Amino acid sequence: MSSVEQGGINLKPSGRVAAAPSTALEEGGIGQTVGQTTVQDPIFSCRKVHVSYGNKHGIRDVSLDIGKRQVLAMIGPSGCGKSTFLRCLNRMNDTIPGARVTGEILLEGRDIHDRQLDVVQLRARVGMVFQKPNPFPKSIYENVAYGPRLHGLARSRAQLDDIVCSSLQRAGLWDEVKDRLAQAGTGLSGGQQQRLCIARTIAVQPEVILMDEPCSALDPVATARIEDLIDELQESYAIVIVTHSMQQAARVSQRTAYFHLGALVEVGETDRIFTNPRHKLTEDYITGRFG
Amino acid sequence: MSRSLRRKVTNALALALSAVATVIGLTCLAAILWTLVSDGLAGVSGHLFTDMTPPPGSAGGLLNAIYGSAALTVIGILIGAPIGILAGTYLAEYGRETRLAGVIRFINDVLLSAPSIIVGLFIYQVVVVPVGHFSAVAGALALAVIAIPVTVRTTEDMLRLVPQGMKDASTALGAYPWRTILGVVYPAARSGIVTGLLLAIARVSGETAPLLFTALNNQFWSTDLAAPIANLPVVIYQFAMSPYPEWQQLAWSGALLITLTILLLSIAARFVLAVLQPAKRSR
Repeated sequence: MSSVEQGGINLKPSGRVAAAPSTALEEGGIGQTVGQTTVQDPIFSCRKVHVSYGNKHGIRDVSLDIGKRQVLAMIGPSGCGKSTFLRCLNRMNDTIPGARVTGEILLEGRDIHDRQLDVVQLRARVGMVFQKPNPFPKSIYENVAYGPRLHGLARSRAQLDDIVCSSLQRAGLWDEVKDRLAQAGTGLSGGQQQRLCIARTIAVQPEVILMDEPCSALDPVATARIEDLIDELQESYAIVIVTHSMQQAARVSQRTAYFHLGALVEVGETDRIFTNPRHKLTEDYITGRFG
Repeated sequence: MSRSLRRKVTNALALALSAVATVIGLTCLAAILWTLVSDGLAGVSGHLFTDMTPPPGSAGGLLNAIYGSAALTVIGILIGAPIGILAGTYLAEYGRETRLAGVIRFINDVLLSAPSIIVGLFIYQVVVVPVGHFSAVAGALALAVIAIPVTVRTTEDMLRLVPQGMKDASTALGAYPWRTILGVVYPAARSGIVTGLLLAIARVSGETAPLLFTALNNQFWSTDLAAPIANLPVVIYQFAMSPYPEWQQLAWSGALLITLTILLLSIAARFVLAVLQPAKRSR
C-alpha cells in the first residue's frame, strides 16, 4: 500500500489552502466536475469511479471519457488521486491488497470489471509506463520481447526480431542500441531506460498507453525526447499522462483534467484550462498558489 | 573532568573493549584452525582418497565416507531445495502479510534454530523405525529437513529485494503472477537464491547428530541407498573417540576436509553474490 498515493484527505495538505476545501469536500463542496467530461467516440468511458483502500478514500465519483488518438493530461497536487485513477484503467489496483474499485469503466463499450474479461487481455490493450524506469534485468532485446512472448504475438524468431526492431524504432531508441541488443537493459542511461520501457509497452501493440509521471526521474534533455515521442505516439494511440509539470501538460496534451483531493474538479481542452480555468481550485493550482 | 575529556576517555575505553573482544574471538578461531590444519595435514595423502575406512590398528583412508557424505548432501539438497525455494516464493510473493504466511514464517524460524539432533530423532521415528534399519535415504531426508528452513529464509529474503517496480512492469504487460515470478523475479534474484543454496549445502555437510540416528555408518564401500552409508561427520565422531592412533589421525584429516569444503562453499557463495550480479550493484 505504501507504493500508492493513499486517499487524498490526509496526505500533504499544504496547510494554508488545503484545509478549506477538505472540509468543503466532506459536505460535497467540490461538487460536479466543471467542463466537458465526455468526448465523441471515446476509447475509455468512466462513470462514477470510486476507489478506496481499507477505510481511506482514493478517489470518489470520477466520471471521465478518454478519446482516441489524443493525449489526456492529469494534473493536481500529490495525493489528489490522479495516479489512482490511472491505475484503475488497466486494473493495476487489483494488485494492491485492500483496494476496492466501484463504478463503471468501459473500454470500447465493454466493462473492464466484467468477470468474462481476461485481465491479461485488458493489460495487453492498455499498456503502462511507470514513474521510475523499470527495465527487467535482461538484455535490451529480451526486455522488448517479453510482452510479445507473453502474448504469443510472434510465430517465428524473425517475426519477433521485427517486433523488437520496430518497437525500438518507434520509441526512438533503435539507433542508440542496435549494436548492443544483447547488453543488459539496466546498463542504459535513465532516459534510454524509459524509452526502452516505452518500446516494451508498444511491442504488445496496445490501444492505450498510460504514463505515470514518465519524466519525473529524467533530466530536461531526456524529458524533451520523451515529449517528442509522445507527440509521435499520439498518432496511433490514446495516451493518458499523469504529470506534476504543468508546462509538460500544456506541451503534450489536448485535454487536461485537474484532480483535487480525490475528486475530478475540472476537465477541458488544454488551451482552455490553462488560459481560462472555470473552477477556483483549478485557477489556484495553475497560477501556482498551491500544489 | 571536563566534558570533552570525558568524551575522549569514554571513546577510548569503548574502542579498547571492542578491540579486546575482537582479538579474543579471532584468537579462538585461529587456534581451532591451526590445530585442525597442523593435526589434519599430517594424515593427508593419496590413501585418504583411495582407501576405505580401516579396521582398528591398520592404515586406511576415507573414500567410502567422502562418497557417502557427498551422496547424502546431494540427495538431501535435491529434496530440500525445491521445497525450500517454493515455500520461500510463497512467503515472498503470495502469502506476504497474511496470517498464514506469518504462522509459516514463525514455524520456519523455530525450525531454523531447532537442535539438529531433534531432526535426527524425528526421521528415526518416522522412517528408520517403520523400515526397521538405518539407511542412506533416511540420512538424506534428515539433511533435507535441515536444509529446508535455511533455503526458505534466504529465498524469501532475496525475492523481497526484487524491486516492486519490476514486478509491476511485468504485471502491467499482462503477466500472471507465476509468469512474473518465473520470467522476472527469479532471474533478478538468481544469484541470491544460488548463494542461499550454497549456504544450505555448507550447513548440512557438517551435520553429525541427525546422521547418527539415520544413515549411521558403514565400514565398507556401499552405494545402496537403502543400507547404512559411511559419512564424514559420523566417521569423525567415531574415530576421534577411539583409542587407536590411526583412527584418530583419520578423524583429524576428515575434519580438515569438511572445514575446507565449507570454506570453499562460503567463498563461492560470496563470489556468486559479488561478481555475478553487477546489475544489482550498479543500481
